[in-house]
Amino acid sequence: MRTWLIALNLLLAAAIVGATFFWHPAPPPALVLAPAPTGGDFELDGPQGPVALRDFRGKLVLVQFGYTYCPDICPTALMEIAQAFAELTPDELARVQALFVSVDPERDDVARLREYTAFFHPNILGLTGPLPRIREAAARFGAVFSRQDDASAGGYVIDHSALTYVIDAEGKLVAALPHATPARLLAQEIRNHLPPPRKETP
Amino acid sequence: MNRVLACLGLVCTILAAPAHASGMADRIQVGDPHVRLAPPGARATAAFMALQNDGEQPAHLVSAASDAARIVELHDHINDGGVMRMRQVKEIAVPAKGETLLKPGSYHIMLIDMKAPLKEGDHVVITLGFSDGSHKAIHATVRKPAGGAPMRHMGH
Repeated sequence: MRTWLIALNLLLAAAIVGATFFWHPAPPPALVLAPAPTGGDFELDGPQGPVALRDFRGKLVLVQFGYTYCPDICPTALMEIAQAFAELTPDELARVQALFVSVDPERDDVARLREYTAFFHPNILGLTGPLPRIREAAARFGAVFSRQDDASAGGYVIDHSALTYVIDAEGKLVAALPHATPARLLAQEIRNHLPPPRKETP
Repeated sequence: MNRVLACLGLVCTILAAPAHASGMADRIQVGDPHVRLAPPGARATAAFMALQNDGEQPAHLVSAASDAARIVELHDHINDGGVMRMRQVKEIAVPAKGETLLKPGSYHIMLIDMKAPLKEGDHVVITLGFSDGSHKAIHATVRKPAGGAPMRHMGH
């Protein structure tokens, strides 16, 4: 009987020690983040007709969402892109394309976009299309936008994410750079992901 | 609470000294005022500058006007997790003996509906209005920005 009690005590002691050492309260349930955007193909309207992201396979593509009425954020972003392009050699530049996707199809048509993007750099192509398709394209990159009617007496403005998306030659989203990334860093990022020059055929 | 009292104090100071010869406008130095050359088709553009307050009291820019545009507004940008939200603001404060920058991605004066397209090198007269009723006219040069370059705002 006594041996039994000692054994029980030892067992209890072991259980307590074990519990202290090995029991950890369950962590609070983790917040589940939305899956990271992976990019992907989209098809919109350019000045010469339909333009799809896959049309640029083999080139590094920068995608910027914005609108031409945007007085500050979009010109800043496009100016940095244009300056980054200016730092590239002609050979590098031939393997790079920027797409400016309007989130304001109501006011931006392809003609207006062409005039607008040409002001910054010839390698920037302005795209628009029906709003659902723009939304779909934006969603692939995790870009968001929402029209604000009361922000200014000058008409509605559009809040929009201002990241610059970098898509490699295989069409894969490889980076999302913060707004106003300086041209020099942008050029570095472009070079990091630039496809190798095409082998010249003898 | 202290802040509220301080604000009340400031308001009283302002109200107690109406139409003073040396208003806020006189104590504000404006550095490198310029207007961003708008891309063709753009309906609006922005004016940027550095506001430096030599006074012992904070100054508040409350209005801007220009003959170059039909609508002129004070704006700010809020970077909300990568989403840039542009909003009209009632005032832009310049701390006592301090500086406030109107720069890309931040405070700016919005020129909306230009009466005539602005060209590089044009001078735009903008009248800044302060909370004490004083005014200051400045000449802002239209120029093509060398990128966002928020660090390169002074001198060049």
